[in-house]
Amino acid sequence: MTGFAGDLRAPALPGFPRPRPRPRELGLLVAVVVALAVGSLSLGLERTGRLEPADLPALALFAGGLLTAHGVLVLAGRRVDEILLPAAAFLGGIGLLVMERLPQDLLVQEVGPWTLGLGSLQLAWLGVALAVATAIAVALRSDRWLRLYKYTWAAGGLALLALTFVFGSEVNGSRLTLQVGPIGGQPSELLKVILVIFFAAYLAENRALLADLRVRLVGAITVPPLPYLAPIGAMLTLALGIVVVQRDLGAALLFYAVFLGLLFLATGRRTDVALGLVLFAAGFGLLALLFPHVQGRIAVWLDPWADPLGDGYQLIQALHAFARGGLVGTGLGAGLPEIGGRLPIPAVHTDFPLAAIGEELGMTGVAAVLAAYLVIVGRGLRIAAAARDDFRALLAAGLSLVVGVQAAIIAGGNLKLIPLTGITLPFVSYGGSSLLANAIVVGMLLALSDRGAAPLAPPRPPRLARLRRSPGGPS
Amino acid sequence: MDAGLNLALWVLRFAFLALLWIALALMARALLRDVRAASRDPAASLGRLVVVASSGQPAPGAVFALDAVTTLGRDLGSSVVVDDPYASAEHAVLTFRGRAWYVEDLRSTNGTQVNGAPVVGVTTLAYGDEIRIGDVRLRLERGRG
Repeated sequence: MTGFAGDLRAPALPGFPRPRPRPRELGLLVAVVVALAVGSLSLGLERTGRLEPADLPALALFAGGLLTAHGVLVLAGRRVDEILLPAAAFLGGIGLLVMERLPQDLLVQEVGPWTLGLGSLQLAWLGVALAVATAIAVALRSDRWLRLYKYTWAAGGLALLALTFVFGSEVNGSRLTLQVGPIGGQPSELLKVILVIFFAAYLAENRALLADLRVRLVGAITVPPLPYLAPIGAMLTLALGIVVVQRDLGAALLFYAVFLGLLFLATGRRTDVALGLVLFAAGFGLLALLFPHVQGRIAVWLDPWADPLGDGYQLIQALHAFARGGLVGTGLGAGLPEIGGRLPIPAVHTDFPLAAIGEELGMTGVAAVLAAYLVIVGRGLRIAAAARDDFRALLAAGLSLVVGVQAAIIAGGNLKLIPLTGITLPFVSYGGSSLLANAIVVGMLLALSDRGAAPLAPPRPPRLARLRRSPGGPS
Repeated sequence: MDAGLNLALWVLRFAFLALLWIALALMARALLRDVRAASRDPAASLGRLVVVASSGQPAPGAVFALDAVTTLGRDLGSSVVVDDPYASAEHAVLTFRGRAWYVEDLRSTNGTQVNGAPVVGVTTLAYGDEIRIGDVRLRLERGRG
């Protein structure tokens, strides 16, 4: 083997990677933990009148978990991104503070001998999420099994969603939760990751065809050849159909927006996006005609005060919460989460955590949360730009878009900027499926950021050549 | 509520908000540094050719940053000199036009292959595709940046 003259270090033993220090990540994690500790002190002082953290064990466990994840990444010695984990920890930590601050009996679950409240449950899920993200970042080395089995992935995701539709349990009038024994989850959160993998694999394989073989539609407007759009269109229609019938409008909006974003990245044609938006408008109009609950959502958005104690109740309370918060907020623990023993915003821990942040940390806090999403999206797009082939680039871009678009949809809904659709605020909202799905996103982005990963096996020959070589049909 | 407690609450509230933004500013600084470093990277280009396997020159593992027109062949004037017994002097040319890379065989004696299929006329290339000239296998990768 002819090494480079400058590289005189002994080669690492196979199976024992050389630890690689990550000073930037450590510094950022310390900054995040210090900020959270001060937030916890502020909450504790407000509650008890003594200068003590609100929940010292939770804070210590969270910080310990972050440091453990950092240590594992250092020992693994891969050259992965150092900013994503602190940014996600920033959001997760703020979410943890909000969950500790809300009434703990909002959600109680018995796990073995313990009875866990909202804050402890969120802490447990955050721990699981950290472990999943770190494990994927360390272990995911080859993307072959992601890209070669794209139809299997997509079919599995859709099957999971269909199962929910048939056997799922109903919460708030929508069948979104699948209960298997004691473990329940929302498969649509997981489906968003699977759909991104499928879109990225399909578009990467057919990018040259979609971008260059154009079919004239009307006048100068061209579209990609329809036979090559059919598989991805069918998959998108199926996913959208199921979630729309399930009344999960937020997920439908998210899937479509991410599809359009990836199509634009793959073909680079603005007319494709414009056509997609026209189709979206048409589809939305059709939905509003067909489904009364879509009309209801729009009516509430246009005028929540028409029914202030019914449909418009949550949104009005959220707007009041933002107004009470003002520029710098009332301070952690000083807001009004309960009036007469009941919550003004029943879904504050899942759909409206931004309203709680807006009330107690003000616009400054809300802007900080939104800025953290910007950091994650910006970082994801950088990873995409530096990726070495189309699949990895599209996958990284799609994964970061999923986080950014989802945050934008629910933040816009909370602020009455767009009609409210019930999806979670990534990393912040309470919920195991949401945290797990976003942990998978972070883990995959970390793994994709490693340019020194094992080289790819040579790609499969393009479709035409494959067909030509085996006249009996595809082998 | 006495004044001391009130003051402490105010200080902690604003310290928390300030620290949140300091953490964000540190992340933003790290992002910016990274973008600047990438823009200074000499390897920033439209694409790169990585030598996967070869019999002699270029050595396996070598990386070439690509210009919009890159010629491949045994001729020493080629952008990427492929010194293989089966390579012609002017063997093939890679061009970046608009949005994609294309490869064209310059009527070489032994032909050029992409992913195992012989190149006929001008063929589109995707990042990750493998070009084969004689025993030299080259993979097209996205450039950094």
